Amino acid sequence: MISAVRILIVEDDATLASGIARILEGEGHAIDVVASGEQAVLGARQERFDVMILDVGLPGIDGFEVLRRLRATGLKIPVLVLTARDALDDRVRGLDLGADDYMPKPFAMPELAARVRALVRRSQAQTGPKIVHGPLVLDTLARRAHLNGDPLDLAAREWAVLEVLLARVEKIVSKESIIQAVASWGEELTPNAIEVYVSRLRAKLEPAGVRIRTVRGFCYMLEDFQEEKLGK
Amino acid sequence: MASSLRGRLLNMLLLPLAVLLAAGAIGAYFLSLEPASEAYDQALGDIALALGERIRVGDGKVSFDLPGAAEEVLRKDKYDTIYYHVRGPDGVPLAGDPGLPAIPPGSVPEDGVIAYGGRYRDQDIRVIALLVPCGGQICTVQVAETTNKRRHLARQIILSSLVPQLLIALLTLAVVWFAVKRGLAPLEGLSADIRARSARDLRSVDPGHAPAEARPLVGALNQLLGQVAESSRNQQRFLANAAHQLRTPLAGLQAHAEIALAQAGPRRAELEQMHGATVRTARLANQLLALARAEPGGFRAEAPAPVSLRAMVEDAADEWVHRALARDIDLGFELGEARVSGDALLLREAFVNLVHNALEYTPRGGRVTARTGMRNGNAYLEVEDDGPGIPPAERAQVLERFYRVPGTAGTGSGLGLAIVREIALAHGAEVEIGPGEAGRGCKVELRFPHG
Repeated sequence: MISAVRILIVEDDATLASGIARILEGEGHAIDVVASGEQAVLGARQERFDVMILDVGLPGIDGFEVLRRLRATGLKIPVLVLTARDALDDRVRGLDLGADDYMPKPFAMPELAARVRALVRRSQAQTGPKIVHGPLVLDTLARRAHLNGDPLDLAAREWAVLEVLLARVEKIVSKESIIQAVASWGEELTPNAIEVYVSRLRAKLEPAGVRIRTVRGFCYMLEDFQEEKLGK
Repeated sequence: MASSLRGRLLNMLLLPLAVLLAAGAIGAYFLSLEPASEAYDQALGDIALALGERIRVGDGKVSFDLPGAAEEVLRKDKYDTIYYHVRGPDGVPLAGDPGLPAIPPGSVPEDGVIAYGGRYRDQDIRVIALLVPCGGQICTVQVAETTNKRRHLARQIILSSLVPQLLIALLTLAVVWFAVKRGLAPLEGLSADIRARSARDLRSVDPGHAPAEARPLVGALNQLLGQVAESSRNQQRFLANAAHQLRTPLAGLQAHAEIALAQAGPRRAELEQMHGATVRTARLANQLLALARAEPGGFRAEAPAPVSLRAMVEDAADEWVHRALARDIDLGFELGEARVSGDALLLREAFVNLVHNALEYTPRGGRVTARTGMRNGNAYLEVEDDGPGIPPAERAQVLERFYRVPGTAGTGSGLGLAIVREIALAHGAEVEIGPGEAGRGCKVELRFPHG
């Protein structure tokens, strides 16, 4: 479970801003809304926010410029970029400038909420040595894992694969990228080997409700551990 | 032919050439006829001299004596008939043919000879008259011949000067013909270049080796292309703005509809309708923009770039895996490397529409598979589902805009496959709709051209 955080919403459309604010307040977060890029830069420098939701199309300086100024001053706040323009162009530009995620408008609120949770998780993982995913806790310093409070025995490679999946909860992770992440172990790894580790992880985690979904022919996805979801 | 440059040039050359030819022939005729006809006159004059020597003066009487054999020799000529007439001092005919035309009055002898033309016995003749002193007085000797030889000579002169001149003229025309062809070859290269272009390609035309005379045309063409490209960019800006203006309020509407839905209540059914309509409107706006972007004339003024279909699908997969999960559909991927040249944004739009369609029409628990790879040297992108499929009779029509297979469930706009087709067309790709594996469901394949 993630704890409640402070979120800065930068959106000039009042209707959309209030909608997002209400959804995220419903998740227990503290929300501030500003309507211009200048206010966003100012706010992010003066106060400590855990996540920023940033619209690209703003009056005055646009979202990209906000992002550039934040990163230029060394602020590492996770940023979710919202774009109403051609999604691919904006996405590439946004990610180049240091955005952590992006969403094309319009979007489903449960998806936005899930993306925000993922960003918060990532920022919290950066601040502490412990990765928490529902009943699963990984202490990356002590290299000890617990499930429902009980010690969980993980082989070195199982641990590595699980870390990759935990870093991208709710995101699909291709076998190739898992291989790349675990490749420092020396010998060649095949997609089949990854399948073996994943099925072992499944056997250990699924009884506690932590599910790794297979996307046929491509990759895996660690499902969000969230009992109640908005809407569908 | 009147409007062809070559035709005009030839037409313009033809008249001066003909005039030159005629003038040349006439000039040559007179220039060479004069000396030649002088030579014939000379021969006639010699005869006249010989005849003059036959005039005898004795006892104050003038007589002329020509032996029959001599006269025969004298009159002998291969081509012409020769006449002569000798008169005494008082004009008395001494011998010969008395009917020869008289010396024109006022003629001045040249070297004692008068040359003139006339008619005799219904034929043109040339006459040489010689004034011979006889016993202190003047006798006249006229020698004449028909003009067969002279006419023959004239014909020969004309022919011998005309034939080479004609040849030169023909050669000139041929040279012009080929020179024009050669001169216009760069223009033909230019037009082949322009023909080979796609309607999306609005880059300036490279004048290449076009002749200087054609540069203004190329310049004007490039100026027009520039204007079209500019208006295309304006249209793109308009589309981007329209997208922004539509998507943001729709996102707000959707957000509030979802908040209201989450709080449920007695109006849930109405809220669900509202929410559904909002989502469909948003999608329709996106599709209309995509269609406007994809169709010729609504082009993005960008040159094609290399695109990896595999990377593009991998990149878009995340979003669609979640949507498939929400619909309890098993979305799988079989991705091989497939590189094409095109517009990454449009290709992604095509894929998105294919997957969206498949998810829309596949019932819960169904299977959808996206594939990329190479087949017989062609890159392909295909999406297969095990839904109800599209009957063969409908397969051509579903590519039309706003067409929906009668009796279909779901809330599609009927634009998805039309967009896919436009984007395929823009990339020279073929769209094939068929049944899925084992004859069930539907498979839509985009097959891209080689290279």
